[in-house]
Amino acid sequence: MKTPIRAQPAADAVAAVIGTLARDFGDRAQTGNAIREQHGHGEGLADAALPDVVVFPQSNEEVAGIVRLCHAARVPVIAFGVGTSLEGHVAALYGGVCIDTSQMNRVLEVNTADLDCRVQAGVTREQVNAELKDTGLFFPIDPGANASIGGMASTRASGTNAVRYGTMRENVLGLTVVTADGRIIRTGGRARKSSAGYDLTRLFVGAEGTLGVITEVQLRLYGLPEAVSAAVCQFPDLRNAVDTVINAMQMGIPVARIELLDALQMRACIEYSKLDGYASLPTLLFEFHGSEAGVREQAQMMEAISKEHGGSAFQWATQPEDRSRLWKSRHNAYYAALALAPGKQAFATDACVPISRLADCLLETRAELDREGVLAPIVGHVGDGNFHVVVLFDPASAAERAKAEDIARRVSLRAIAMGGTCTGEHGIGLHKLEALVAEHGEAVDLMRTIKRALDPLDIMNPGKTVPGARQPIADSAC
Amino acid sequence: MLDSNVHAQLAAILPPAALLVAPEQTRPYECDGLTLFRALPAAVVLPETEAQVVAILKACHAARIPVVARGAGTGLSGGALPDPAGIVLSLAKFKRIVSIDALARTAVVQPGVRNLAISEAAAAYGLYYAPDPSSQIACTIGGNVAENAGGVHCLKYGLTVHNLRRVRGVLITGEIVEFGGDALDNAGYDLLALMTGSEGLLAVMTEITVKLTPKPQLAQVVLAAFDDVEKAGAAVAAIIGAGIIPAGLEMMDQPATRAVEQFVHADYPLDAAAVLLVESDGTPEEVGAEIEEIRRLLTEAGATGLRVSKDEAQRLLLWSGRKAAFPAVGRISPDYYCMDGTIPRKALPRVLRAIAQWSREFELRCANVFHAGDGNLHPLILFDANKPGESEKTVAFGDRILELCIEVGGTVTGEHGVGVEKLNSMCVQFAPEELARFHGIKEAFDAYRLLNPGKAVPTLHRCAEMGRMRVHHGALPHPDLPRF
Repeated sequence: MKTPIRAQPAADAVAAVIGTLARDFGDRAQTGNAIREQHGHGEGLADAALPDVVVFPQSNEEVAGIVRLCHAARVPVIAFGVGTSLEGHVAALYGGVCIDTSQMNRVLEVNTADLDCRVQAGVTREQVNAELKDTGLFFPIDPGANASIGGMASTRASGTNAVRYGTMRENVLGLTVVTADGRIIRTGGRARKSSAGYDLTRLFVGAEGTLGVITEVQLRLYGLPEAVSAAVCQFPDLRNAVDTVINAMQMGIPVARIELLDALQMRACIEYSKLDGYASLPTLLFEFHGSEAGVREQAQMMEAISKEHGGSAFQWATQPEDRSRLWKSRHNAYYAALALAPGKQAFATDACVPISRLADCLLETRAELDREGVLAPIVGHVGDGNFHVVVLFDPASAAERAKAEDIARRVSLRAIAMGGTCTGEHGIGLHKLEALVAEHGEAVDLMRTIKRALDPLDIMNPGKTVPGARQPIADSAC
Repeated sequence: MLDSNVHAQLAAILPPAALLVAPEQTRPYECDGLTLFRALPAAVVLPETEAQVVAILKACHAARIPVVARGAGTGLSGGALPDPAGIVLSLAKFKRIVSIDALARTAVVQPGVRNLAISEAAAAYGLYYAPDPSSQIACTIGGNVAENAGGVHCLKYGLTVHNLRRVRGVLITGEIVEFGGDALDNAGYDLLALMTGSEGLLAVMTEITVKLTPKPQLAQVVLAAFDDVEKAGAAVAAIIGAGIIPAGLEMMDQPATRAVEQFVHADYPLDAAAVLLVESDGTPEEVGAEIEEIRRLLTEAGATGLRVSKDEAQRLLLWSGRKAAFPAVGRISPDYYCMDGTIPRKALPRVLRAIAQWSREFELRCANVFHAGDGNLHPLILFDANKPGESEKTVAFGDRILELCIEVGGTVTGEHGVGVEKLNSMCVQFAPEELARFHGIKEAFDAYRLLNPGKAVPTLHRCAEMGRMRVHHGALPHPDLPRF
């Protein structure tokens, strides 16, 4: 699909916006090169596209004021959390104003009786859990990075324990959003269910900042489980590891997390995180939550299934610090993969398939990677069918990059052909526009129409998420 | 009357028996479960293939004829109320269970399949479909999706929106679209969630993939009696506050238990001001530990009596009372009006107090059954439509309840939808900015507003008019709108 080219916003319009922001925000509006560079890319590829100015608002009203200003001047608005996105969501393709939410970092309320809390968008996942420490509650969604809640909502993030607790889709109860014309709206609410009106909450969750800027999030919380234990099990080959997962899901064992690391990824983690006592073999990491009796029972069932598939005896981590070390090594898997070949960069794919196709998809993918001779470890939150291939390439070699890109594309298309998706949790951003069309066909037209209905001037994170949403700026005059 | 040109087109698409125009044939479609509102449609069509649905919608789109999709007609908010100038598109013939994938734990079904039929078909694999509205023996999955239906077990297992994978449907233009997919997550905007609860305003569904849930090894229910409704409310808060998410957490007050007892003899304690039903499910170890903890919390909260189901028959008997609450109330009163608000759980005692007081003021009996765990209230206002003025009093009572729900931070509908019933309440719950987004989305799907017109989302004019009738303290809502 050819995307119509949109002109950069008029230079004098941008200059006027910068002038007004500098006047109103003082040193909370920055135009220095270093800070613009830092806000021009996420953690994925190093390709950057710089915003013209970075602003640090502190309230809904300030965000609304910035968006109104940009709306009047037709200057793009890009919301920025902590910049851990992997799909180029924050790149300012057409320049404009980057709204950095890091100073919107207050937990506004915690309702222990209702198991929910309300936070500003810039609050990070770890900060939420630190504030909840004395309440006996926790917020389970854990994408690895210490991302901002606003960013996690915008990309519909999930993570290692989505198999038990769901993704941001299930755990955002309501939002405050600044719309493209700078109005403040509240969606959803504290009530546990509602069938009033369209589900705007879930429309903004996962919209990647293309429909509005999320400024506050109402989160669902959970009681801390009475008992938690974690175990590691290693397998002779990938198929047996995957079949173990499929079996467990089929039996309905409520495992809180199941993570797969293939042999190459395990080698990377052993080297990077200095793990002792493990071999470079396909490995599953489990975590069980529940009552003492429940956890023991789940673990026994899981170990029995693993043994049937040739798994090693479970190595246990029941102490919190052992568990933290184990999960830290998993969370660092991306950096561990990069460390396999210093100097290289990575395409991290994010396929998710129905659990019944997981073995086919993973094994075909692994075989292809080996055939192509690329260095590409696989990790996955396999309990929900989601896995990542980290395809390493030398940024100096155009050929290597093209090959890596091609392999990443094939992973997406294979997942889609198996009834899956090109993104389980990272989002579309910049890099998966083409795959979205392959996945959704006609429905992409509807997404485009919705984008135009809610952001007719196309100023909200333009060029992302919905291919060809853009119209030439002259057509969209109001 | 149906335009003769359109009639000819529909007659060419459908066999004669699937196109009803005579009033005696269309009469059964004049209302849904909300019988306060009735209208005869110009025609009723009963397609059985997707191609027929496409052709019907194209014809109606070209002629600008409104289309109201209908499942079993059990809706409680008038969502399937016909438009006199339009057609009713019944999905009654779309009743095939296409496939069940036990490994992926999904079922592909047509929209006219009954909710309970899915669980019956999945039982062979040890699976079931979790959302269980009380009307589950009759209501269809298509209607469940349109209203984002809940049920007594949605506290733990989620609403319809949490139990869907994929919806296939037809836009008013005749385009076929698919939302969601077979994997856990999907790329792009969450159109599946947008479709869920859209009350037939965005597309007509033709195929739905639902998630199935493994049947728990064991389920047990605790029946707790309280001598005071507010104590029962506080017990609910204590259970949830302790981090327990029971499989079901339901409350009924005395008028409700008395009505039920005469009807199904579920052996409820009739001297109790309120009873709670608390269910735990899982493995025997988990259930044993959780029931112990629940008993402790209920006793601390002042329960005057506790009973734990000993076997499956007893468990089902205890639930039968709750599930039969609506028909039971229907037996003791000529008419009843069922409300459907949702509030933050901790506001429960305050709202219950207010309802009791208004019940005395309006001199109307009110039986309360609640999905207490998620704060979803169903006050049933008992009245006699043949007594002059009683219907009006009932509606006024109901409006007071809904306005209070919003005031304490809740919503006007937990699971029954807005339909025509709650259009005015929507003006109270949503600001004009928010309603404008709703209209923008409707426009994107259905520019001529032909699908289920006049439902779910009030026009800003309607809200402005309503505001004029209810000016509080001289503050006029939506001052920027043109007035009549």
